[in-house]
Amino acid sequence: MEISRKDFLKGAAGATGLLLLSPPAAAMAENSQTNEGKAMLIDVTKCVSCWWCYAACKDYNKLPETANPELEQPPALSSDVWTTLHPVKKGDQWISRKKACNHCTNAACVEVCPTGALSYNHMGFVQYDKEKCSGCGYCAEFCPFDVPQMENNSLTGVAIMNKCTFCHDRVTNGEPPACAAACTTGAITYGERTDLMTQSEARVADLRQSNIEASVYGLNEGGGLHVMYVLDDAPEVYDLPADPEVPAASTVRDIFKWVGSGLAIVALAGFGLNYLAARYRMRKGEK
Amino acid sequence: MAEPRVVERFRKRTVWFHWIHTASFLVLLVTGAILFLPGLGGPAAGGLTRSIHRIAVIFFVGIPIVYFIFSPRMSLRFIKETLTWTRDDFRWITKAPDYYFGGDESKMFPQGHVNTGQKMWEFIVLFTGVLFAVSGFLMWFLKDTLSPGVFQWMVVVHDFAFVLAFLMLLVHIYTGSLHPRMTESLRSMWDGKISKHYARSHYGKWYDEISKESS
Repeated sequence: MEISRKDFLKGAAGATGLLLLSPPAAAMAENSQTNEGKAMLIDVTKCVSCWWCYAACKDYNKLPETANPELEQPPALSSDVWTTLHPVKKGDQWISRKKACNHCTNAACVEVCPTGALSYNHMGFVQYDKEKCSGCGYCAEFCPFDVPQMENNSLTGVAIMNKCTFCHDRVTNGEPPACAAACTTGAITYGERTDLMTQSEARVADLRQSNIEASVYGLNEGGGLHVMYVLDDAPEVYDLPADPEVPAASTVRDIFKWVGSGLAIVALAGFGLNYLAARYRMRKGEK
Repeated sequence: MAEPRVVERFRKRTVWFHWIHTASFLVLLVTGAILFLPGLGGPAAGGLTRSIHRIAVIFFVGIPIVYFIFSPRMSLRFIKETLTWTRDDFRWITKAPDYYFGGDESKMFPQGHVNTGQKMWEFIVLFTGVLFAVSGFLMWFLKDTLSPGVFQWMVVVHDFAFVLAFLMLLVHIYTGSLHPRMTESLRSMWDGKISKHYARSHYGKWYDEISKESS
């Protein structure tokens, strides 16, 4: 039995062409990345740990009920818990940092997402399209804040990511996210990011008169977070990394994509030249 | 009785092994590439391709194991052949550019069962195969136990193996099937046989060996 060399080659060439037709996404995706737009400012000094933001999030996003949250055992982020508290005991007082997606300007999750399920919304937040999620889990592994949560079937690998959506539909309709609307103490402020930056600096200047540790988190971290924090202590105390960055592994992957695609094109061109040159010289040699 | 004009280069089982392994690798390649190159990500949505990737890997890893169980001596000989490098291999490299660009065939040193270029490909297959298998195993089964940093670099290792294997696969396909000088290589991977003439001109050392054995 013989297969035609030509047919085999046609198939192989076609398959290769398909693979090469895809330059890395960074170049083609329409990028609406911005360090402005809408944002939230979380002021830990005003939070009374009432859990209303938690309840409002569950209610608005129709997430299944879980047991009443306790400060001693705060619920962890999960596919059913998109916002929670990170409580810190100071003396006999609890101070809580609201914990959810920080909607980075330079978001590791968006950079590594292979299907474009995660993307930058021009309003500033990191949106995701569940339909497009392949469940690869790279976002969960690369996020410096450990925010995206996977519902995982480790045998089949089927998984779907969940995280805070910044109440996409509310925000695009001009309403604040459900958590911000529910907060009664002013611990969550929603507004233009540039305004909130000014506001946060004024607030911290105020706090600094009695507390030298007070600082804003998220002005420049992650390229500028769309959820910023007024903190009365070091970021690490509130489970915020001092220097959240897109992991180096993500950059290395991008280099591989470009170098790999480039070399493949060079190789194919090289084969063409080689074929013509070799055939020419071999024919000449026969004569 | 007329002497047969062809010699056996690959056994039937080796031919089967080659093509099943190829098919499984191509499935892995396509279902993996759509996760690697974001412009192709569309079909990955929903995760079906990730399940296909997991089914294909059973063949990709399983077939070499089955082959090894049934033909341990041939498998070991293959590994030994891949890892044994002599001065002739380095001589081959110096002659290869002229040879592949259609130069005088007689200037090339006689080669053994595989030439140095094929040996390099075999090495890439073994090397990337191990990288793929180890990093893939860790990402699949130990996702929850690995630290994020280790997971991230396992993704990078998998990517590296992909880039290397894909580029070298292009070279393998080109030199094995399209190159004007390699007229019988693809056929030999189909029925396992090559003509005596092809054996003599491409694998002179090997041809002498098998001629001695049979006489």
